[in-house]
Amino acid sequence: MKEKDLYIEFDTHKLVYYAEKEDNSYGPIISGSHLSANYLDDHWMKRKNLEEKLRKQVIANEISPIFYYMTYLEMGPKDLASRANMSMRKLSKTFKPEGFNKLKVSQLKRFADIFNIPVFSLFQTFLIKDEDHEKLELQQAATDNELYHITIINLK
Amino acid sequence: MNNNINFEHKMYAHCETGTLVSLLNNAGYQITEPMVFGIASGIFFGYFETKDFPFPTFIVRSRPGEVRENLAKALNIKLKKFKFKNADEGMKKLDSLLEEGRVVGAQVDFFYMDYFPEWMRVHNNVHFVNILGKEGNNYIISDSYHREIAYLDQNLLRKARWAGGTMAPKGFLFYPEKLDPSVDLSKPIPKSIKKAARNMINLPIPFIGIKGIYKFADKLKTWPGLARDIEHLSHEIMKINILLEDQGTGGAGFRYMYATFLKQASELMNNPKLNEMSERIMEIGDDWRKISYFAAKIGKNRDLGEERIAELSDMIRKQGDAEKVFFKELKKVY
Repeated sequence: MKEKDLYIEFDTHKLVYYAEKEDNSYGPIISGSHLSANYLDDHWMKRKNLEEKLRKQVIANEISPIFYYMTYLEMGPKDLASRANMSMRKLSKTFKPEGFNKLKVSQLKRFADIFNIPVFSLFQTFLIKDEDHEKLELQQAATDNELYHITIINLK
Repeated sequence: MNNNINFEHKMYAHCETGTLVSLLNNAGYQITEPMVFGIASGIFFGYFETKDFPFPTFIVRSRPGEVRENLAKALNIKLKKFKFKNADEGMKKLDSLLEEGRVVGAQVDFFYMDYFPEWMRVHNNVHFVNILGKEGNNYIISDSYHREIAYLDQNLLRKARWAGGTMAPKGFLFYPEKLDPSVDLSKPIPKSIKKAARNMINLPIPFIGIKGIYKFADKLKTWPGLARDIEHLSHEIMKINILLEDQGTGGAGFRYMYATFLKQASELMNNPKLNEMSERIMEIGDDWRKISYFAAKIGKNRDLGEERIAELSDMIRKQGDAEKVFFKELKKVY
């Protein structure tokens, strides 16, 4: 593809692509991502809808937070089981609230590490109303106690 | 600690080739990313449906790590490599190598590279970065996908190096211990081209190479039945674009990078046939890009009925036909 046809101005997500240059040589160019430049809004919308759907299922006791994060983060069960040092059979039990409720704190910590969240995020969700996104931001700060995080609400 | 401040950081298309090119160029061995990719026979295709992945997926390059090993063999590069069972030991070893002033390549889980925005990060255990040094609690990282040198908290790097899971990094570190500047780049090229063509057309596995492209075309029609809902299907169809264009491929599923390799090889070997093949794989790449655009468009419009999926499947099948002819002819060049 010609460089001029491939190049996209989009600063948020730049990548290296290979293209045909003006002098017919082939070489690298740095360009914006076509997908991010044109379809990022759609991605956000789908992520938001998925999060809401999964959250409702957690609240209704249909799924556990483990299943919520595994699905939201697009992880395969075999991969997650391996990361959690569990058999697939044992992992699948944690997908339901009854199995989740039997997990030890050390196991919850392992899952929290895998999902890169504080342990407490397996038990609650902080939401900022759409209209307040411009004004507020949440920051979760780790402490020397690996089970203890501090949530800071910042005014932007 | 020596923080290798003279290390020249550059963006590259792909993390594994980029890490290698950076390490070699900074050690004074000049080579391009497409040459690394081509000599290592990196071009590939595979379609996978396994429990490792939450949804069917495909790859467009050889197994992670294979580029590094093939390149080292072809260019007589001695790599020093380390894997660790114990994370403390692995972090200590990294620090001691940095103390010696070495730049060290590392395998990590991309998910923990928090210098990228959250929406880009997924669990992927086969990301490669170069580690240049340490300042306080942060490691200094040269990541091919990042515009500048980045900083990563030591706890995150530890998690990223011992993430567990499919293709777990196990703390893997490497650096070139000995280079051989006497190796003539033109020597390994014929063999690497033959190997790449063989991988694409001769491997007797029904989901690998050209057979993998056909498998993808066929299986795509089953995707609507596997998705949770229309938004999930849209997401997975649009991911075809990501896997072909944005996940470190250099565009068109590495086909543009391979075209660039063949062009450079043609000049090096003074072989016009390679130049012709380079232009042909560039055109094949253009058709992969059309597939990427088409997948993104129908995904966004939720235009995902049977007819539209069949249309996308036909486009992919045609790529199988085109690549079958291309790689058969490429195999005959040497």
